[in-house]
Amino acid sequence: MKLGIIWTALEPTLVFILLYVVFTTIRDSPQENFGIYLLTGIILYHVFTRGTISGLTSLRSNSNILESLNIKKEFFPVVACLTTSILLIVQLGVFFGLMPFFQFVPTWTIVFLPLVIGLLMILILGFSYILSIIHIYVRDIQPLWGIIVHALFFITPIFWYLDDIKKGGLGDLLLSIHAVNPIGQIVELGHSIVVFNNIPTFSEWLYATVFCFSIFLAGYFIFHKFESKVTEVL
Amino acid sequence: MSKYAIELEKVSKSFQIEKSRRPSFIQLYSKKTKLSVLDNISLKIKKGEVIGIIGRNGSGKTTLLRIISRIYEPDSGKVHVNGKIAPLLHIGTGFHRELNAKENIIMSGLLLGIKKSEIEKNIPKIIQFAELEKFTQMPLKHYSTGMRARLAFSLSLQVNPDILLVDEILAVGDKKFREKSYEAFLSFKEQGKTIVLVTHNIDSNLKIADRVIFMKNGKINLIGTPDEVISKYSEDSPDKE
Repeated sequence: MKLGIIWTALEPTLVFILLYVVFTTIRDSPQENFGIYLLTGIILYHVFTRGTISGLTSLRSNSNILESLNIKKEFFPVVACLTTSILLIVQLGVFFGLMPFFQFVPTWTIVFLPLVIGLLMILILGFSYILSIIHIYVRDIQPLWGIIVHALFFITPIFWYLDDIKKGGLGDLLLSIHAVNPIGQIVELGHSIVVFNNIPTFSEWLYATVFCFSIFLAGYFIFHKFESKVTEVL
Repeated sequence: MSKYAIELEKVSKSFQIEKSRRPSFIQLYSKKTKLSVLDNISLKIKKGEVIGIIGRNGSGKTTLLRIISRIYEPDSGKVHVNGKIAPLLHIGTGFHRELNAKENIIMSGLLLGIKKSEIEKNIPKIIQFAELEKFTQMPLKHYSTGMRARLAFSLSLQVNPDILLVDEILAVGDKKFREKSYEAFLSFKEQGKTIVLVTHNIDSNLKIADRVIFMKNGKINLIGTPDEVISKYSEDSPDKE
């Protein structure tokens, strides 16, 4: 149990140290507060990844309960999401714990962090609803989703800056992918309030909120449409 | 309140089954055959009645229990249930192999709908009935199948339902334990609870049943007294179990 918490804290920390060392070595002059920039991205991304993966397996891994009890199926993705919030709390500890090492003091804009986290959790729950149902019908979604989140790590501005992108051609493509990448939007909101000390505009908030809620609603709808068939397909 | 605990009206259920095993995605589009498991079943079970269901493997016994306990929705027909159901369809619903007996009793008990305070109060009783006093601290993964089943069964006796659905889980444990569980069923019967017992062999527990249903190919073949039905069933099965 206690060892579990240590691992939860250690995993993003080690990934962070690795990336930090690599990128401060290969980049000539990293931007100011690159460490905190990287850390914010890694933690939000990591919670998203772990949350959606545990949501994905939540129904199938409890098949013996589903097959022998008439239980609300919605329980399982929701519980997976709640478990993820424990992970999140541990990681926030890591987040604030590492700040002194970079002589970083967050400004008041960090009060918006709970809003970003709230959006992230809604997003995770939405994906968990969808993925857990797909996982019942098509098991392949599990390795596939693993690859997708891996790709998301590179598509999301975690170790690179949006300003780095060159205009035209592939750069524009990347920007348009970024516009529809939900975790990318969340990470950018996080960067704004933590590292850049500016409050995202109303339209930026609105865009991310509508985005997360539509994924959540789509997931909720899909889940309730298919849940009654789950025990038969298992 | 109706005098019936369980009412089934013309219930049918079929499953879509792939003809052969196909890899993953292709499975979604592969040809499926319809397998009819329950065919137009009508059944009324009175409150306080003990019903045995007997039939060979694949005759639809478990599906029937799952329909009653609402794990499956029927394709057609109606299901009415009056009262709280405790379905014991699996050995140890929600058991976790890394946890010990006490922790598993609490977890599984909560899933079966018992209050936590009530479970905790009854832990010694459960463990004593299961004859597992020596192994309370051991993680469940080191238990034998019989031990696990005994624990599960003892726990399920603490559930205080109006209707008890039992699927084969009695076929575990040694002779002494089976006698004990038989007595437990008798006391449930005396308390006026409705019990549905499913089995595929001619179990001594069927003796307590008021009526026994013989299921064959998803249909009710015969309903009658235990002796009647058991003799018919024995004639019907060439390989006597």
